[in-house]
Amino acid sequence: MLSEEERQRYDRQIIVRGIGEEGQEKLKQARVVIAGTGGLGTPTALYLAAAGVGTIRLIDNDKVELGNLNRQILHWTKDIGRNKVDSASEKLRQLNDKIEVEAVTETITEATVSRLLSGFTLVLDGTDNLEARFVINSYAVKNGIPFIHGAVNGFEGRLTTIIPGKTPCLGCIYRGTIPHIKTPVIGVTPAVIGTLEATEAIKYITGVGQLLTNQLLVYNGLRMRFTILNIKRDPACNYCCHL
Amino acid sequence: MSIKLTMPVFLQAITNDKETIEVSGSTVGECIDAVIKIYPALKKMLIDDKGKLHNYVGIYINGEDAFPDELKKPVNDGDTVHVLYTLAGG
Repeated sequence: MLSEEERQRYDRQIIVRGIGEEGQEKLKQARVVIAGTGGLGTPTALYLAAAGVGTIRLIDNDKVELGNLNRQILHWTKDIGRNKVDSASEKLRQLNDKIEVEAVTETITEATVSRLLSGFTLVLDGTDNLEARFVINSYAVKNGIPFIHGAVNGFEGRLTTIIPGKTPCLGCIYRGTIPHIKTPVIGVTPAVIGTLEATEAIKYITGVGQLLTNQLLVYNGLRMRFTILNIKRDPACNYCCHL
Repeated sequence: MSIKLTMPVFLQAITNDKETIEVSGSTVGECIDAVIKIYPALKKMLIDDKGKLHNYVGIYINGEDAFPDELKKPVNDGDTVHVLYTLAGG
């Protein structure tokens, strides 16, 4: 049941067609992981906290650096040197003290992924490398957990929602990793893609609208263009071919 | 045959900010060869040492995933071939 305070806090979204008190209750009961609290993860976390997602686990092993502040909007100058998840969770709790925010300072690896993601119903991509994404993808596929994928470079971004067994997984879309480079990013790009990830999460949790499944959104901020490509499951995919 | 080859922003640094390049070819591979003739620096970004597409490059013909054997896929006059480059930033 929503409290009177929650009804007031979420009034504007409760009156959105398709959400209502029932949808708000679903958001309250939801347990999501945001893997990474950088450029993508911070706007995602901000909007999910504001929307009243009941439990948000933030996972990141990094500390805040000066060079993060052009894009990682939950980390401020005073936070330099702090654990990112502590910095981010502090602001989220100030924004919304009615939700649970779990701050986990760890790296997602094959050895830790099960412990870190177990018990959660949705994973959002806030990572900054393909290796971590494939580890999450593998766990998500094995355990049937939806995984909302985003990635950015410069003014360019990608987004898709992976429903294991029903849609292509990350291994169906990307058949290999790319060389490690220092990725150029202007902050507004992960802001766009991270907010779109949050949009997909809210839709998934409440059941409103249609998810971006079986499609890859390609965002071009320089020309302000959103292109949709139709992606397909790979029958030989190393991750999901058995499903 | 005139094919519109669309480049991701990441590779437009090589194509002098051109997003769409019209080339001739009857397969994706011929179109890629044609665009490499115009912009030779694209070669190492798209093709590996064995002459195959890098596994982090995707090809979409008229918005549809052309995997597998992308370079052998036929294209028709007026088709759009979208080159997708894997991004990893976050």
